[in-house]
Amino acid sequence: MASRGVKPQPRGKLSGLPFHAHFTDVAAHAGLRAPVIYGPPDRMDYILESMGCGVAFLDYDNDGWLDIFLLSGTRREGPVEGATNRLYKNNRDGTFTDVTEKAGLTRQGWACGVTIGDYNNDGFDDIFISGWPQNTLYRNNGDGTFTDVTEKAGLLHAGNRWGTGCTWVDYDRDGRLDLFVSNYLVFDFDKIPPTGKDPRCDYKGVPVNCGPRGLIPERPMLYHNNGDGTFTDVTAHSGVGSVPPGFGLTAVAADLDGDGWQEIYVACDSTPSLLFHNRGDGTFAELGLQSGLAVNEDGSEQAGMGIAIGDFDLDGRLDALKTHFAEDTVALYRNTGHLGFDDVTMRSGLGVETRYVSWGDGIVDLDNDGLPDLFWVTGSVFPEVERKHPEFPHKSPRVLFRNLGNGRFEELLEEAGAAIAEPHASRGVAFGDFDNDGDLDILIMNMNEPPSLLRNDVSGSGHWLKVKLVGTRSNQSAIGAVVTLSYSGHKQAQAVMAASSYLSSGDRRLHFGLGAAEAADLEIAWPNGTRETFKGAPSNHLITIKEGSGIVARERFGS
Amino acid sequence: MRALVLFLLIGLGTSFSQSGQASVEAHVGRGTRLMQDNLFEAAAAEFEQAVAANPQDPRAHFQFAVCLLALGRNDEARRQFEQVQKLAGDSRYLEYYLGRLDLLSNDYGAAIRRLGSVAENPPFPDTAFHLGVAYVSAGDVITGIKWLERAAKLSPNDYRIHYRLGRAYSSAGRDQEAARELDLYTRLRDEHKNNEKDVRDCAGALQNQPLPAAREVCHRMFDPNDPEKLTLLAQLYGDSGAFDDALDPLKRAVQLDPKSFDAWHNLGVTYFRLQQYAKAREPLERAVALRPEFYGSVVLLGATLYMLGDDDAALPVLEKAHRLNPSDAQTAQVLEQLRAKQQKK
Repeated sequence: MASRGVKPQPRGKLSGLPFHAHFTDVAAHAGLRAPVIYGPPDRMDYILESMGCGVAFLDYDNDGWLDIFLLSGTRREGPVEGATNRLYKNNRDGTFTDVTEKAGLTRQGWACGVTIGDYNNDGFDDIFISGWPQNTLYRNNGDGTFTDVTEKAGLLHAGNRWGTGCTWVDYDRDGRLDLFVSNYLVFDFDKIPPTGKDPRCDYKGVPVNCGPRGLIPERPMLYHNNGDGTFTDVTAHSGVGSVPPGFGLTAVAADLDGDGWQEIYVACDSTPSLLFHNRGDGTFAELGLQSGLAVNEDGSEQAGMGIAIGDFDLDGRLDALKTHFAEDTVALYRNTGHLGFDDVTMRSGLGVETRYVSWGDGIVDLDNDGLPDLFWVTGSVFPEVERKHPEFPHKSPRVLFRNLGNGRFEELLEEAGAAIAEPHASRGVAFGDFDNDGDLDILIMNMNEPPSLLRNDVSGSGHWLKVKLVGTRSNQSAIGAVVTLSYSGHKQAQAVMAASSYLSSGDRRLHFGLGAAEAADLEIAWPNGTRETFKGAPSNHLITIKEGSGIVARERFGS
Repeated sequence: MRALVLFLLIGLGTSFSQSGQASVEAHVGRGTRLMQDNLFEAAAAEFEQAVAANPQDPRAHFQFAVCLLALGRNDEARRQFEQVQKLAGDSRYLEYYLGRLDLLSNDYGAAIRRLGSVAENPPFPDTAFHLGVAYVSAGDVITGIKWLERAAKLSPNDYRIHYRLGRAYSSAGRDQEAARELDLYTRLRDEHKNNEKDVRDCAGALQNQPLPAAREVCHRMFDPNDPEKLTLLAQLYGDSGAFDDALDPLKRAVQLDPKSFDAWHNLGVTYFRLQQYAKAREPLERAVALRPEFYGSVVLLGATLYMLGDDDAALPVLEKAHRLNPSDAQTAQVLEQLRAKQQKK
């Protein structure tokens, strides 16, 4: 993590336009009351204690309602009662029931990232968790329980590693989900000095935890799905292992150049971020610099934490938003085609916000006006600093930028409800419609606090369309598909992804705000390369499309 | 007496006394010095006061605008530059800055027009860079590459230019050239990062370790072929009071780059601090010749001449220093004494 000392740009006059999304934190009411333990509550002596973990929306029992999976850390001094990854089943009434034990998912350790996908194509979502010192694969048994199959699947690695970003990705289009895992750095409690023991580990004159600079960076890994429940490490053969080591965090997979093959983009902390271009022959070429996604427009690397993929300028191409440290801006990259990206952060108005360390993020239409907005969460990694420098608070608010539709955004500080301005030390974020009311709600991991569940209550007359894809020749989860919606003269692309934000996994039902449009045309690029089109899909519906079979279900919900 | 005067003058380069008789000159002088230290917010406040004191003075508007641009207050900067245009007419400096503002506001056509109009006789070396970026942003990658190539020739060590040029080659499908430029960018960026680390390590060692141990750490910065790095090393020594150690890097730096104001100025300051006034004179004269309006060098040269007993030479130099910073009461006091002495002769 590193700050670049960037000062915020002055805020311009607000547009004065109404914002129709309103967020309320309903976590306690919903039953999400257990704190997410991650290191000591008031200090972070080691970088492992500071990085936190992801969260996930998934539908593990296929009942059409999003359940919640929360990762957890622990404490160095020993097990903490109640600290475990947790699975919450959606009761379909705004509340959840903790079913962790029944599901066989009780586990305490340093979990970091989560990716959700049906790796064995049995129709049920499985869970892969990255972490230190080992990763874990849980197979969904289809009866509400899970089995730890990490060793059987060949995913136990030798020695200790700090797995962070992870994503399912069918990189070779064989219809089976492969697995990409980024690794952060070589970590050992006994070899890295804690806060105060190394005078070089200092932020603003305050001793803080050491790293990542000065510690040993790692390389990512790629595992090929053999189709029999096992995986083969293809890191070297695929070219993924030939990049210089970096401090890898969030990894996302999506077809960024529209050639039908998924790229893998990795946010790296203080080293250039990585873009693995899929050559379509089982190998990748790292093209971060060539594409423009490795560094900012000045050629400076940033402290990459989270990545969001979406189409903010409605040109039918997938853009990217990457979050960074305090005293720096996020980076908004506009896709210009042919795997080229322009850093448009400053010219889009995002330079006004540089105050916070930023983590999980999304390019998401929160008010259903047809223009994807930007959202991210924040929180310091150095709680000690705020005592001397109150301007660097440990807990800080969420950040929301409304899309003005002209390539520019404006930050909304109070207009979207008290839950946005509420300060927390947050990390992972997942977006999804947990109450099936036709908008996007937000699930947030808070360090050593219960999570936040921001229920979105959209007013106004904006329409929406949700699209759920089911692969047949492609992987069953349709991970890697790109849906392009045409409405009101706009063209918006969204990708079905298994992970994004910060080490998190969101609702795979793609949510499109449509504004005034009452219908939309769809083009689907399936992960195996085939394309399908559908005309005139009515708004305010969830439509389920099965590969090769068309629309197999229409469900109207919401107001 | 001379020791007291010396004590007063030594502080002048950095002390900004608050005069109750604020004038445009005083505000502009203070603002200029603050800008030289990259303290743009404080500088902007000075220039704003200068503008308020005399709204018809184009210099104050101009400097205020430059500060606002550095602070990212682009709309305000444009208004100030346009005010300069009204008061003083067009100039290539105005075209340059307005062109940069056009670029920042995504008006690529206007940026190309303005920057292009001054590109053959550029007011600043990075004009070609901004023009190249404007062309690439406007979609004319081929012309953009031409200007970025020119910018790279003008500033071959600026990694930002090589990055942009590499990306432009990549967009144009010139993959080999892209790879070459991006390799160069990576090398320069790594060097830059290593330099930053060396500076951090050296400054930390000078702050926390005994001088002999710190010297070992700082020696990594002693690149006998890099005048900028040598000057930086000397500044770090000077900041920690190790003036003897600053001499060798600075002597080497002025040999390598006789046009380096920073190297000459710092060499003069170092000799002055070591009370070797005879040796301080030439470097300070060279510094003043290179930047005649830089108050810090002028006042120190005046002090040096005074300490050498050359009052006749000191008087006009200190008078100039006073003109550059009229609000400095200490210079005024010394001048008064010198003039009185001259009258007694």
